[in-house]
Amino acid sequence: MHVLSRFTQAAKLVWKRKRRFRGKFGSIDFLVFLLPLLIPTILLYGMLLWTFYVSFSDWSGVAPNYTFAGLKWYRMMASLDRFWVDVRNNLKWLALGVMPTIVVALFIAYLLEIRPVRWLESYVRTLILYPTAMSFLVSGTIWSWMYEPTKGVFNTILRSLGLEALTGRFVTDPSTATYWLIVIFIWQYLGFAVIILQSSFRTTELQEMVEAAIVDGASRLRILIQIIIPNIRGGILILVSLLLISALKVFDIVYIVTFGGPGYSTDVLSLHMFIATFQQHLVALGAGLGVIIFAMAFIIIVPYTIYAFRRWFD
Amino acid sequence: MKRFKIKNPTLTILVLLTVAFLTVAYLLPIYVVLVTSLKSLPEIAQRRYLLPGGSLHFENYVKAFRLSISSLKNSFIISFTVTAAAVFIGGLGGYYLSRTRSLLAKVLFILVGIALYLPYQVILIPLVQIMAKTKLALTYFGLIASYLVLNVPLASVLMGTFFTAIPRELEEAAEVDGASRIQIFFRIISPVALPAYASTAIIVFTQVWNEFLLALTLSTPYTMTIQVKLAEIKGSFLALYNLQMAAALIALLVPLVFFLALGQYFIRGVLAGALKG
Repeated sequence: MHVLSRFTQAAKLVWKRKRRFRGKFGSIDFLVFLLPLLIPTILLYGMLLWTFYVSFSDWSGVAPNYTFAGLKWYRMMASLDRFWVDVRNNLKWLALGVMPTIVVALFIAYLLEIRPVRWLESYVRTLILYPTAMSFLVSGTIWSWMYEPTKGVFNTILRSLGLEALTGRFVTDPSTATYWLIVIFIWQYLGFAVIILQSSFRTTELQEMVEAAIVDGASRLRILIQIIIPNIRGGILILVSLLLISALKVFDIVYIVTFGGPGYSTDVLSLHMFIATFQQHLVALGAGLGVIIFAMAFIIIVPYTIYAFRRWFD
Repeated sequence: MKRFKIKNPTLTILVLLTVAFLTVAYLLPIYVVLVTSLKSLPEIAQRRYLLPGGSLHFENYVKAFRLSISSLKNSFIISFTVTAAAVFIGGLGGYYLSRTRSLLAKVLFILVGIALYLPYQVILIPLVQIMAKTKLALTYFGLIASYLVLNVPLASVLMGTFFTAIPRELEEAAEVDGASRIQIFFRIISPVALPAYASTAIIVFTQVWNEFLLALTLSTPYTMTIQVKLAEIKGSFLALYNLQMAAALIALLVPLVFFLALGQYFIRGVLAGALKG
């Protein structure tokens, strides 16, 4: 009892010192440590508000025109067929860029976890992670060549295997082009998804639970579904958010592989924003599209940021 | 879980099949790039992509390199400057975020957390206006400043995540000895956090090197980055797949070398960025 109370007193003392210490930043310290972060943040939010304002202005043409026009350009946006194609395509990106990536990544991460061969892990990690260091421009250029319908890699391989029936038009077929673009995205983000899942597998509590389940004779599939997945909800939330945000922001892949074509069948909001602003000079419309992208991003980011906030200040 | 690898033939086959599939899926594109980039156009027209050509046509690389040399230089200048500055500034900001719990720090954390994932489209129009008004777009400084504003929040959160893991006792001891915050940061924390700086640097560098939208909108012929150049090469030499592949490989080379040489730092950086603490 005596030992225990001495221990708690010591702990309290350490805790108090910690608190006092954490809070102490003098005014010069503020300048040195806080301003460098504060200035870019203020600039970013300033530009965000600026874009909001532009979206309500009547700016079309090269010279800025900040006359207030209310919802004029939003109405114009909603009347554009292209806008609704964008929205549909963006939803396809969100659903198909994220769900399959997570399912496949979960499968691979779990296999690596119960790997029967030792050297596999570092090999597979390097193999699927190198595209993370690659730009979408590079992967888009490479995959354009893979997809090229007459001379490209996939069709040539299929033909040489005698599988003429399986050859396709890939990104030149308006009805399926977006899906082939999403394949590039999945290819590029799979490694990223795997390492995040792996790191959330490796907590002591989870490892202990799995050990207990194995002793009880649970099958591997049951362990995955009933123990691992419910216990890595945090990791999955992070992963889903990051993939959603990346899928929403997608611009480079579409730009380099199809430029929204054929027609505007593979167009997405981000590309439309770029074209409206810098090619058609409908700047207010472009700003409005930017605001729509931001609104969608905001919905995705907020739960994630709250989660990160709780972890950070816990 | 590593201890529970029970010998199970079905599982082994499943694993090997998966690994075989991944190997094809991830090595085929690189293989195709290498083989195509070393072929002449008539050889490409023969449609035998999986086999290397008769002789190695390095002239594709010479041509691609000649086309992209000035943009490579631009990318180097921009990426290295932004990385160095963002990591330094991010270290300061990250230290603040990791060591205070004041209301200001909390509000700032939320703002920065959201700013990290701000789609660039939503700041593009004002940014172009600022760059045009100040004429900064004509120099490297335009892109450098833009990337800096966008990457300092990222660098701060990454550095903050790493700083959180450094035990406070180090600082307390120094504080008792009368060291100021700034001394503590530069003399004690920063040296300990060198690996964290490396991780953050490699992430920021890759981001900036690979960025396309801003580079496309803001760069002039004199400040064009390698990504924009690659898009231009792809657009203007439509049928020259050998040249395109050589250019793609040139654009990929720098981040790939960093990734292969500093893979551990890269992975740590990716994880820190994802978990935020």
